[in-house]
Amino acid sequence: MTIGDLFRRVPSVQMAWRNLGRNRVRTGLATLGIIIGVVAIASLGMAGAALQQQADSNLSGLTDEIRIASGEDSEEDGVTPGQVDKIRNVVPEATIVPQRTNSTTISVNNEESIVSVTAVTDANALYDVSAGEAPARLLSGALISSSTAQSLGLELGDPVKFNGNLYRVRGFLAEEDGFGPSGGNELVVPLSALSEQDNYDSVTVIASDGESAIQIADIIEQEFNQQGRKTEEILDVSTFASAQENINSFLSTLNLALLGIGSISLIVASVAILNVMLMSTIERRGEIGVLRAVGIRRNEVLRMILAEAGFLGLIGGTLGAVVSMGAGIIIFRFLADNGMLVFTWRGLQHLLSGFGFAVFASLLSGIYPAWKAANDHPVEALRG
Amino acid sequence: MTVIELSDVIKRYQNGEETVKALKRVDFEASLGEMVTVIGPSGSGKSTMLNILGLLDTPTEGTVELRNKNVTNFSEDELTNERRSGIGFVFQEFHLLPMLTATENVELPSMWDTSVDRRDRAKELLRRVGLGDRLSHTPDELSGGQRQRVAIARALINRPEILLADEPTGNLDQDTGRTILEELTRLKQDENIAIISVTHDPQLKEYTDRSVRLVDGVIQA
Repeated sequence: MTIGDLFRRVPSVQMAWRNLGRNRVRTGLATLGIIIGVVAIASLGMAGAALQQQADSNLSGLTDEIRIASGEDSEEDGVTPGQVDKIRNVVPEATIVPQRTNSTTISVNNEESIVSVTAVTDANALYDVSAGEAPARLLSGALISSSTAQSLGLELGDPVKFNGNLYRVRGFLAEEDGFGPSGGNELVVPLSALSEQDNYDSVTVIASDGESAIQIADIIEQEFNQQGRKTEEILDVSTFASAQENINSFLSTLNLALLGIGSISLIVASVAILNVMLMSTIERRGEIGVLRAVGIRRNEVLRMILAEAGFLGLIGGTLGAVVSMGAGIIIFRFLADNGMLVFTWRGLQHLLSGFGFAVFASLLSGIYPAWKAANDHPVEALRG
Repeated sequence: MTVIELSDVIKRYQNGEETVKALKRVDFEASLGEMVTVIGPSGSGKSTMLNILGLLDTPTEGTVELRNKNVTNFSEDELTNERRSGIGFVFQEFHLLPMLTATENVELPSMWDTSVDRRDRAKELLRRVGLGDRLSHTPDELSGGQRQRVAIARALINRPEILLADEPTGNLDQDTGRTILEELTRLKQDENIAIISVTHDPQLKEYTDRSVRLVDGVIQA
């Protein structure tokens, strides 16, 4: 069976296809309108998705962390080793990293730099290094921000003096995007370097993900800050999960706004289709009268004109999706550093919705002209 | 055998404020195998009568019987079905669809009826009207006479009993008009159909079996 035979089985579609071929410029312009609409809606949707992707990847390292410091009702200066042990007991599944902090000025070869000092044992859990190593048990040596190391001319293995002791640089801290400990102007030393302090300045609890971080924060709050009915802030417990929620809700608002702008262009395109279909049915009024006279039923005329509108939507939607795919690669490349993300569900869903919206809007625009043509009185229509 | 009959048909139009009476108690019938010509000056109600005979319009009063079946109160969809199966139309301006070939134009009335394939009959009819070598031509590649032959073939595709022709020679020169009339006469006998034509053309008289004169919506004896 050839395509022609297949076409003959669906006469409305066959006639619609021929009719669209009659005025190629008009069909082309109507299609162009839809393409622009689809590209607008899909690109803006993908821009939103790319921003979301970027925000997620920047925040993912933060949201699973809980920062604990001494609360305002605490009699202690800092978090005591006893409290750290208690935290370890109530949340055994999480990684607990107690830290002591300070600041100092280090000088190497007459270059000076003010750095914040973090004394920690489990450096591996908190820091990524761009060179060297971040040991799971930092008992000797130090880590330093790579930018600070660069400005001081430090290399791996060079000594850094702190509190009268020398520490060899074992790793450079990677610069991180986004919020939180950025890895700038930071010196990381073993806990023993700040041994004159009994208590810890802060404790970082690392959970498996953002959700369990919120649960763990609740457990710690209950354990330390709820004394019967009384609420006291012995420990200050904070997470970044709420920050992420805020950012997510902002991004979804932004997404809606972007899609709204995109939809306007598709609405404009569907008004254009309405106009084109109305014009072409008015132009062909006499022809439609002939169809009706020779016994073509009203619903058959209706289907034929709806099929024309549907074709415009299908062609415009398909071409629009292809162009949008190209635009998407560029958008994801710039906003999320990975153009291929357009082929994941995050990108594809916007191509599909742009395509679907185009077909839907075209059919919707076709309803009125089709109805009008089908219900025209044959005698009136024949007069043209 | 009477195939279509108008009895006491009145047709009134509302034209702005005034009511126009286009047909005033018209009685008319046509039988299989005859060619009837309706003549009359313009504005006499010829076209209105043809529209009612073709089930394109309904009378204000009176009855229309097709094959002894009263179709006066049929719905639009029922009338469409009767048109499709029983009536063929030939228009003065041919009214072929420009994007379809001659064969496809002939097939048009049966195109949506996917249960039958009328392609062979369409080609057959085109050969019979002398267009066997123009099957795949589009209307703009055909002369006026050839287009009207395609229109005649189209009118016959569903084997109707009635063929209605509105000024079938109106847009053709005299010689071409004559060949079209000869064609119609031949088909009338071959297919045993009733041909009702409306015309100004005196040439038609030679080919017609019976003439009816319509003046101011009244048939004159």
